[in-house]
Amino acid sequence: MADLLEMRNIHKVYPNGTKANQGVSFSVRQGEIHALVGENGAGKSTLMKILFGLESPTEGDIFYRGDKVVLKSPKDAIKYEIGMVHQHFMLVPSFTVAQNIVLGSEPTKGVLSDHQKAIAETQRLIQEFGLKVDPNAKVENISVGLKQRVEILKVLYRGARLIILDEPTAVLTPQETDELFQSLKKLVSQGYTIIFITHKLNEVMEISDRITVLRAGKTISTLITSETSKEEISRLMVGRDVLLRVEKQPAKPKETVLSLDEVSYVSETGKQVLNDISFQVRAGEIFGIAGVEGNGQTELIEVITGFRKNFKGRITFLSQDLAGKSIEEIRNIGIGHIPEDRQTRGACLTSSIKENLILDLYRDKSFRRGLFLNQKKINEHADKLIQEFDIRTQSRDTLAGALSGGNIQKIVVAREISKNPKLLIAAQPTRGVDIGSIEFIHKEIVKKRDEGAAVLLVSAELSEVMSLSDRIGVLYNGELAVILENSESLTEEEIGFYMLGVKKQEKRASAT
Amino acid sequence: MNQRSAVYLDLLGILLAIVAALVIGIFVIFLVSDEPVAALQALLIEPFTTLFSFGSILNRMIPLVFTGLAIVVVFQSGVFSMGAEGQLYIGALTGALVAVYLPEMSPWIHIPLVVLASLIGGALYGFLPGVLKAYFKADEIVSTLMFNFIATLFVSYLLNYVFKAPDSGGFARLPFVQESAKLGPIFDGFPTHAGFLLALLAALAVYLLLYKTKTGYELRTVGKNPLFAEYGGIKPKKVLILSIAISGALAGLGGTVEVIGLHGTLKDNFSAGLGFDGIIVSLLARNHPIAVLLSAFFYAYLQVGGQIMQANSDVPRDLAIIIQALLVIFVSSQAIFAYLKQRKLMSSRGGERVAK
Repeated sequence: MADLLEMRNIHKVYPNGTKANQGVSFSVRQGEIHALVGENGAGKSTLMKILFGLESPTEGDIFYRGDKVVLKSPKDAIKYEIGMVHQHFMLVPSFTVAQNIVLGSEPTKGVLSDHQKAIAETQRLIQEFGLKVDPNAKVENISVGLKQRVEILKVLYRGARLIILDEPTAVLTPQETDELFQSLKKLVSQGYTIIFITHKLNEVMEISDRITVLRAGKTISTLITSETSKEEISRLMVGRDVLLRVEKQPAKPKETVLSLDEVSYVSETGKQVLNDISFQVRAGEIFGIAGVEGNGQTELIEVITGFRKNFKGRITFLSQDLAGKSIEEIRNIGIGHIPEDRQTRGACLTSSIKENLILDLYRDKSFRRGLFLNQKKINEHADKLIQEFDIRTQSRDTLAGALSGGNIQKIVVAREISKNPKLLIAAQPTRGVDIGSIEFIHKEIVKKRDEGAAVLLVSAELSEVMSLSDRIGVLYNGELAVILENSESLTEEEIGFYMLGVKKQEKRASAT
Repeated sequence: MNQRSAVYLDLLGILLAIVAALVIGIFVIFLVSDEPVAALQALLIEPFTTLFSFGSILNRMIPLVFTGLAIVVVFQSGVFSMGAEGQLYIGALTGALVAVYLPEMSPWIHIPLVVLASLIGGALYGFLPGVLKAYFKADEIVSTLMFNFIATLFVSYLLNYVFKAPDSGGFARLPFVQESAKLGPIFDGFPTHAGFLLALLAALAVYLLLYKTKTGYELRTVGKNPLFAEYGGIKPKKVLILSIAISGALAGLGGTVEVIGLHGTLKDNFSAGLGFDGIIVSLLARNHPIAVLLSAFFYAYLQVGGQIMQANSDVPRDLAIIIQALLVIFVSSQAIFAYLKQRKLMSSRGGERVAK
């Protein structure tokens, strides 16, 4: 079969010095689902941005149906029937589904846009591809899974025949993922071609025809899915064998460290984001919170860590009431916090590694000498953590932003774990992180638990919650739908029902 | 890429910007002048040929160092204060009042008192827009620009109607400062006054403050990533107010040093944009306090050269202003730096470690 698209010897160097692609070659055949896998920082997203015209390659050529093409902007890409569904949705929340789909190339009647025609067009697409969604619904009111469908429809409306999906399942529930895969299979049967970027090997095995593995900006191999295994792919991705399961002993929980009693929170916009939440986290256990993103996880953590005040109910940490305490005070009483977004909160990308590592310690008297900071001690501290936490860098003075996502996350984890917290709050601790770093971070979290810390884990990655947690709470629509003991017999489907609000545990009489 | 190689590339970019601005300036001179060689010599070489003109460069550099440093402090903290001009006037006023109206005493007491008064005056005048921003969300660019008008006109009013020296005629000014408050020449016969040493000290102090102290870490962290700072328990509002107050203190001291070093009194409208020049000086120095010394020197050199050129040739001094403007445009074009960095990395491809 002839290649639909070929990218030959692609190099890309970013102005900040990151060499994202170093001679990547990649080709896609008409009518296949081609998975593009690799650790974070392997160059997948960059390669796809080049293909979609968002970045221009520093070197290398792209051939479409055998002809050399130059893609200077997404407009060029669309001209060659290439479309992309981004990881972060690019939709206008206050517009309807139909308006979003036609946005930028609206059907017109004279100089005015033809709204009826837009709806009709949308209906036609929905019929044709079986992607069910209400064209008149406002985007802000529909679920994440539906928003993704709108994104796909948007791309189809523009006439794309080759569709790039950048980590499409990151925000979906297992059920929504299944539905997405059904749609993709249908598209392929109609002659469409799909490039599927992902970290998740289960999905790769399930859906793809062929797999291209990138590592450190280079093509490692292209494989036929039916002739390979998860183990082989992960070995190619990381360059060594990795444990795909977290090994840990049963928990030995002790005293309660963190306790929430009937905590409720109303956001600035008046929405009830947390509703009557009660749970305890004990020393020596990992309490995991599962749930589709946007069901109150962010607010829950921000309420505990002091970013948001004015909640109702009680939050106690080792018999201290946390209400009214400042962020600084909460950090100082023995709570470590790995925030969900390392790019904006967890790390300062334009500061050096060592400056990122002293975010708490610069206040500590032992890190000062008279009026000044003790540079020698700061350097020693940085070198020690770089070593202990295997942060791959040239020096402690390297800017954090020059590192890969996994290594930036290791800086955050190193800082928060090395302060020996009695409670570690880990929010999305491995999001967008490569397999090797995931393994490392998981081990560190379990180690902290075994040393007697209480761990509150929040993750949109169900498999992460299930493999790390001793107990699991599911957040749905701002409520804790259920608290389950984690065991071998607990299935993803079971939790999925709670995540989607299909099932809900009856509140005990005492809680009301 | 680590910090050091980033610094070298920045430096290279700035040098190229300077060269490009000068080349275009020279081109313009050849276009408009009948005696381009004489004009060029006056602009570029003569500032260095006499002790007097070299001393004038240093004298002109002094207030630029202070206002440049004032801007460095706020810009590094992520605060876009344009208020150095107003703070300079208020600091000059409070300093000048102490210099003029306190009785004659030992200079070792009088000068520190004057300095202290100007620091407090400038700091308070920075504190106000800081509070407005922190607690009332008043945009600091707008508020500080407005505060500049208030300060300039308020000082002008005081000079014309309240404190006017009886013998000052059409150009309102305070009475002359006490002898004990004057900054003399650095050494006898050299035209540069001792404010130069204060400027060097200030640059060193700002460097130490920003890079070696707890407060500096807070200021820079808030400037780089306020969300990260907040997450670490740093209070962004406190830092905002502090940075603009420190900035005001520096600008205010710059104003007073002009009073007790150069003019010997507080004159109406003596600054004519020193606070705004500080923005350019800071920009040229890439917001680094030590580099401010170099960029202020270069800026002052262009001004003195422009004056000599106007006196000795048919090219007006505005040409020097054109070069300054070009410089601002070139230095602010980030794209050039980005391009240079990319080029450098491409040429070393394969050699060094991969930035994964």
